[in-house]
Parts: sequence; C-alpha cells; structure tokens
Amino acid sequence: MARLLIRVNEEQASEPIAAQIIIEYKVPMAILSAHINNKGGEILIEIPDEMETKIADAFQRRGVTVTLPKQIQVNTEKCFSCGTCIALCPVEAIKTNQEDTVEFNKEKCLGNTCSICVDACPARAIKSLKTNGANHTRKKKT
Amino acid sequence: MSKQGKTRTIEEINQKILKGDAQVLTAQEMKKLVESSGVEVAFKEVDVVTTGTFGAMCSSGAVINTGHSDPPIKIDRAWINGVEVCHPGAAVDLFIGATNMSEKDVVEYGGGHVIEDLVAGKEVSLRAIAYGTDCYPRTTLKTTLTKEDLNQFQLINFRNCYQRYNCAVNSSDEIIYTYMSKLLPHFRNATYSGAGELNPLMNDPDYETMGMGTRIFLGGAPGYIIGEGTQHNPKNQFGNLMVKGNAKKMSPEFLQGASFTKYGTSMYVGLGVPIPILNEGLAKKTAIRDEDIFTDIIDYSVPQRDRPNLGKVSYKELKSGTITVQGKKVRVSSLSSLKMAKKVSQTLKTWIEEGTFTLTAPVERLPTDTICKPMRQTEEIPFVTNVMHPAVTCIEGEKIRAIAERLVTKAINHIVVVDNKGKLRGIVTSWDITRAMAEGKKDLGDIESRNVITAKPDEPLETASKRMAQHNISALPVVDTEHRVVGIITSEDVSKLLGR
Repeated sequence: MARLLIRVNEEQASEPIAAQIIIEYKVPMAILSAHINNKGGEILIEIPDEMETKIADAFQRRGVTVTLPKQIQVNTEKCFSCGTCIALCPVEAIKTNQEDTVEFNKEKCLGNTCSICVDACPARAIKSLKTNGANHTRKKKT
Repeated sequence: MSKQGKTRTIEEINQKILKGDAQVLTAQEMKKLVESSGVEVAFKEVDVVTTGTFGAMCSSGAVINTGHSDPPIKIDRAWINGVEVCHPGAAVDLFIGATNMSEKDVVEYGGGHVIEDLVAGKEVSLRAIAYGTDCYPRTTLKTTLTKEDLNQFQLINFRNCYQRYNCAVNSSDEIIYTYMSKLLPHFRNATYSGAGELNPLMNDPDYETMGMGTRIFLGGAPGYIIGEGTQHNPKNQFGNLMVKGNAKKMSPEFLQGASFTKYGTSMYVGLGVPIPILNEGLAKKTAIRDEDIFTDIIDYSVPQRDRPNLGKVSYKELKSGTITVQGKKVRVSSLSSLKMAKKVSQTLKTWIEEGTFTLTAPVERLPTDTICKPMRQTEEIPFVTNVMHPAVTCIEGEKIRAIAERLVTKAINHIVVVDNKGKLRGIVTSWDITRAMAEGKKDLGDIESRNVITAKPDEPLETASKRMAQHNISALPVVDTEHRVVGIITSEDVSKLLGR
C-alpha cells in the first residue's frame, strides 16, 4: 500500500475532491488521518501501490498538493525502551519485542501527520520531520 | 548452609562468592524455579537473588567537589552547562539536582543531563559568582571540567526505587502533561512506573536484608543504601531508598537524563539490590509475581494532593498493555524500562558470579514503621467552591432583549445558557449582546459561545484562574460531574481574593 499526504487550501477544503476521485477511479482509499477546517488542511490516505501515480496525478490535476508523508525518526542509541510511547500510538505501530526492546513499525506509523509520541519521549529519541510549505512534490518512482 | 539447614549467613554466601560457587539467580529466574520446584528446593539451591529497576527518579543528584581555584572563591551561585547547581556546604562543594532545569533550554536539558554528561566523560562548563571575602576574594569564575578534574563526584539520591507506584489516567477534556508523562483526555491512555516483580523492595517487603550499608548496583557501579528514602511509606508498600555511590565509576547507560514535556527534567537511574536467601521465608518472598502486586489507578486531572482513586490494578494487568478503568478498556504503557531493569539484575548477577561483588549485611535495617505525613499548612488555599456564586442563567430560545435586560438588572457580564435539566449549553457575555445589537442579530443561537471553558468546584482557585488567563476569558461556569451548572467564577472574584 502507498501513502500520500494531500494538502488542500481554503477553497478546496469545501469540495468533495477525495470522494470524486474515489468514484472516478474506483480506488479503494483509506483515510488514515484528516486535519481539516475551513482554512484548509491535510489528509493522509492509503491506496494500492499500483494506483499511486494515477491517483497522485488526479489530485494534482485538481490543484491539490500531494507529498509523501515524512516518517518518524527514532534514535535507537538514545531510546532506553521505557515504552511510554506505546499506549499513545493511535495505530498501534509501537510494540516491544521479545527482548523488551521498543520497536516502531514504520509501515503502520502515521509519521509527521500524527507525532503524538514525540513530546512524550523522556529520552527525546523520537523526531518528527515537518514537511515545509506546499512546494514539496511527490518523489518520482524510478 | 548452617547445621540445621534452615538458614544461611551472609558470611557463608560471601565465601561461596569468593570461591566462585555461589548460586545466583535473577528475580525472574527465581520465580520460575519456585514455581517449578517449590520454596524448599529453591532455598536449598539459591544463595542470592538479584533484583533491578530502571525508572525516572526525580529526587536524585550528585555532590561534587571542584577543588579550589586561585585566587579561591566561596561560590554563592553556580551553573553547569547553564543549569543552576546549589552550594549546600563550603566554598567549592556543589549539588547537582536532577530536576534543576537549564535556564536557556528549559525542560530539554537539566541536572540529570549534566550528571549523565559528566558520567560519560564529557567536558562541562562551570560558571560561578560570589560576593568575595578576605579569605575567598574571587567574585567570578568560568572554567570547564570533566569528572577526572573533580575531587569527589558522589551520586546521592534521597528518594529512589519506590516499591511500587501509581497508575496514572486523565478523565478531563484536555491533554495533561505530568511527571507521569503525557495523559490523553477521557482515559485514552494510562501510564505506570516500576518493575513490579523485579523491584528490589517488593522482593524483600519486610526489609530483612536491606538498610544502611547494603551494597547495591547503582548506575552501573557498586553503591550503598544509606537509609530510608524521603517519604518512605512502608505501611502502604511505598517504601523507598536513600542511596549513594561513586559516580566516577558509573555508566551513562544506567544513568540517563530525561525530559518530561511541560513538567521538567529528571534522571533515569538503574538500581539493583542483591537479596541473600538467608532462610526459606526469603525464598518465598522473592517468588512474588506481578499478579500479586497491586497499585491504584489515580486520576491526575484533579489538581489536588488527594486525587480520585479509580480502582486497583495488578502489575500483571499493567504489563499486559491494557487495563479497565470505569468499564472502559484503556491502553497502558510503562514509564520505566523493563528491558533495562532486567539488564540491571543480570549485570548484578554476573558481578556476583565473577566474584567481584560481595554482599554486606545492613548495620541498621530499613524501618518498617515510618509514617509519611502531608504538609502542615498554616494558610488555607482557596478552592473554586469557596469563591463561586450562583450563575445567572437563560435557556436556549430566549430573546436577546430579555437576556440584555437581565444583564442590566443583575449588573453582571456573563449569562450561562443551560438546558431544561440545568446542564451547560453555552455562555453569553455583555460584549456578545453589544455585537448582536450592532449586527442586528436577534437569536441567542447566533451569539452564544458553545465551546465553554469550565471549572470544577473542588479545584484550587489558582488553576481555574490560570485557565482564564490562558484562554483570555473573564469567567468560568462551574459544573459538576454531570455537567450541570452549579455556579460561576469571574476574574473579579479571583483578583479580589488572590490580589491580582
């Protein structure tokens, strides 16, 4: 599954863009998180890999900014595996393994659209890289 | 083992340690052995059980002696890496408190980090000021230091290794940041602390083998228990230790600075106590399991000393990751590291097996009868309930004109909107009415604020007052747990009482 971060501006916020694309392309789209108000906002979607380019183009043609969500960075040197972050994670992406070491599932993690664990880490081992501005473009697949 | 085969002494155990044939198990291994073979066999086979914990221990710190400068200084105030340290004694003795925060990098760097950096061999910068005396003429000082430059670098922690600790939740509408970390609203998460069945004091709950002089694992090096910790509360299974050790020999792996957002800094300390299995009773006690250790679920959203207790929970449930609070499944995570606690008990086991660490008997056992008292307060602090007065209310659908009249006749600025059961719906201010007049609005629904910030009757006035300032508002309706309006407090009430 591929993840795309869709950013809408003030005008686009009130339009059913995602719904239109779902209908037009018959794409099974999971909305992982959405932070939208009348000033615009962002939606994190998950779609099948093979449809990524097509769907990203469809959003871009409608004037919407499409970027890849940035992942959370975990400094395993700093992390002492307390596990404070575990119960905070809304998608259960953090678990301890058999050696009681805290592990992040990067596939599940919502990345910088969530970041709920970042300020709870007493070791300050989790970093969230903010995407800056609307100029980010989708990484082209080679 | 002595003649009767029912007891053994610490001397006997130490002789075996020095010969390299002492039987040492970690607390985890001991529990399995007792479960599979019984207490009698476990007592016969095991000489020492090693315990361990690794958690945030705020009442930790270090005493350092920097040596004298030339010309000498009697330090009045001093900072290491921007963290103020205190001068508890003579000229160049300083105490680095783990919770003291950097003046520039508040919350992100503090005394715990300074201690970690020193232990790691890093260079730190010291700045000091003094008033100057005939014998200590110097008034300012700047230098850099490493642990090698210090005469003494002693970790002295006056409250460590709590036997067990609370499980924290938040029933309120907002995220709160506490020393129990980030607590999401409406019980959306819970946190707990402590190693449960691995905790040193839990494995010897009558403190038979622990007290002043017990040699322990502290921060990666040998250290000592020097007595009961502050707020030691043995009757409630909230016993704790005061400990010391030579920090120069410690390791930054077992002594780590920590930051709790909107709370402050602390230090994670690795601490382990070896328990000599002197009798069958101790074999049995060290077999304690997480399911036998209970703690209370406490609502940290109530800003009072005695916070609501929402029930009991075992460490087994806590370690499972999910508990039930008021019928709701709540995900729970640990603040202390089980992985590191195990590493502490394992490392201590290795030291003893290798013969580099022998046991000591306490010269005075930890007391089992200390009582932990709350503060004697000579001045009562006001609560919301002491200040609130009846709220003037209106119901939805009332005409703005009628509400405006009520504001004038009652000479007030706020009217609380309620439903027919007295539950809070919104609030209207005289400013809202003025605006309605200017804009020609007639319906209450168009002008009332529905997202109302409230206060609870039993919260301290100071926290309610802070909330008003934070949201830049001048009144808070006071609501009960059912969200019924029981009164109102205004910024005028607060300033009259608190004098602000």
